[in-house]
Amino acid sequence: MSEALLTALNPSMFWEYRQVLLRGLAFNGYVFVTAGALALAVGLAAALLRLNRAWPFRWVGTLHVETFRNAPDYIMVIWVHFVLPLLLGAAIGRRIEFPPFVSAVIALGFVYSGYFAETFRAGIQSIPAGHIDAGRACGMSERLILRRIVLPQVVRRMLPEAINQFVSLFKATTIVSLIAVPDLMYQVSMVLQQEMKPLPLYTGAALTYFAVIYAVSSLVRLLSERWRNKVYA
Amino acid sequence: MGNWERLVWNQRDALLQGLGVTVQICLIAFAVALLGGLTLCLIRMYVKPLRPVATTLIEFFRATPIFVQLLWVTYVWPEVFGWPDAFFTAGWVALGLQSSGYLAETLRAGIEAVPKGHREAGYSLGMSPVMVFLRIVLPQTLLMVAPSIVNQFTVIVKSSTLVSVITVQDLMFQALRLVNVWYEPIEILTVVAGLYILFVFLLSQAGKSLSDLLRSRYGLAAA
Repeated sequence: MSEALLTALNPSMFWEYRQVLLRGLAFNGYVFVTAGALALAVGLAAALLRLNRAWPFRWVGTLHVETFRNAPDYIMVIWVHFVLPLLLGAAIGRRIEFPPFVSAVIALGFVYSGYFAETFRAGIQSIPAGHIDAGRACGMSERLILRRIVLPQVVRRMLPEAINQFVSLFKATTIVSLIAVPDLMYQVSMVLQQEMKPLPLYTGAALTYFAVIYAVSSLVRLLSERWRNKVYA
Repeated sequence: MGNWERLVWNQRDALLQGLGVTVQICLIAFAVALLGGLTLCLIRMYVKPLRPVATTLIEFFRATPIFVQLLWVTYVWPEVFGWPDAFFTAGWVALGLQSSGYLAETLRAGIEAVPKGHREAGYSLGMSPVMVFLRIVLPQTLLMVAPSIVNQFTVIVKSSTLVSVITVQDLMFQALRLVNVWYEPIEILTVVAGLYILFVFLLSQAGKSLSDLLRSRYGLAAA
């Protein structure tokens, strides 16, 4: 057992393949950044729909949020990769196929837009009505009020919650290897097929993800805490 | 509709079997997560010499993706510890460990939210520390964090789709198997995705009503 433990802790095999693995980790980063941007944009739109005065808009927003917030990441990735192109293809009368990267970004972007929408909504609702009235009294348009008064405050209030969701999103990017996006887990399984040594490879992958997620999220939390306090104080 | 009948309704036995496995693995993982979370939380709060160990474990479980943990437990643990020896076991171990990290932090927040005066009242009545914890602190904590615990259960259900990757024959596995038999993914994947969304939706609604009930009956705000 102790020998097995030593192999597990021996990083040389993981180090040997560092270039491939780092390229894989970079792919996690690409998926994270694009899906994150999509999730923020769609999430804000859904939150605004839910807060609209007309009920059909509210209804659509609620449907969006409840669907995507309650959907498992994995089945959404599979659905977008295998079903959505068929449906779209039937609609436009042509065969289409999504590259794995595109499917991954669409699926994760929409799933996390559900979470972000709720965060945005809570943030927007926490803005005192007086601020908006004040904007109106100064003759600002609704859009200007949103951009100048509401959103700057919302961003500061929702940051801690949003950071948690970004962490979840980054963790979710590991499953894109299952539709053959060449991320870190995909590269690990490729190397595994040659070396047949799951011990150092999976342990290395777990430790790498742990280090990246723990370090980056702690750092971002520390920096943003300072920024939030500075503005408020 | 012929397609739906052939591809989905006629396969209901396989799908129901998969659903059974999903329910089993989620419930076992949930029990493991509760026990593990409570243990980790108590060690972190009250057993000083072991505190760094518990903190490291909690942070490790929380900051590694479930997919990576699942493969790690499945393929690395048997070589190091000689256990788990079945994929089903590996599945609930990984799901349980991940959630125990989150539950440990939730429970800690709950325990810290119990006012100090309640504990002191217990001591002044001559209750032992264990009794104070079991009779005064824990019941209030559990009430306070009950909605978060339900919430964590929905996370387990969502993550449980991944155990199909290690060939545990859950609902997701059956769906993917049927896709590979017929090469017609539209109906089956849409139905199964809809089922998962429905289950998780019902669970999270239950959590919401629970927290409303607790707030109106006991005046507790969710921690």
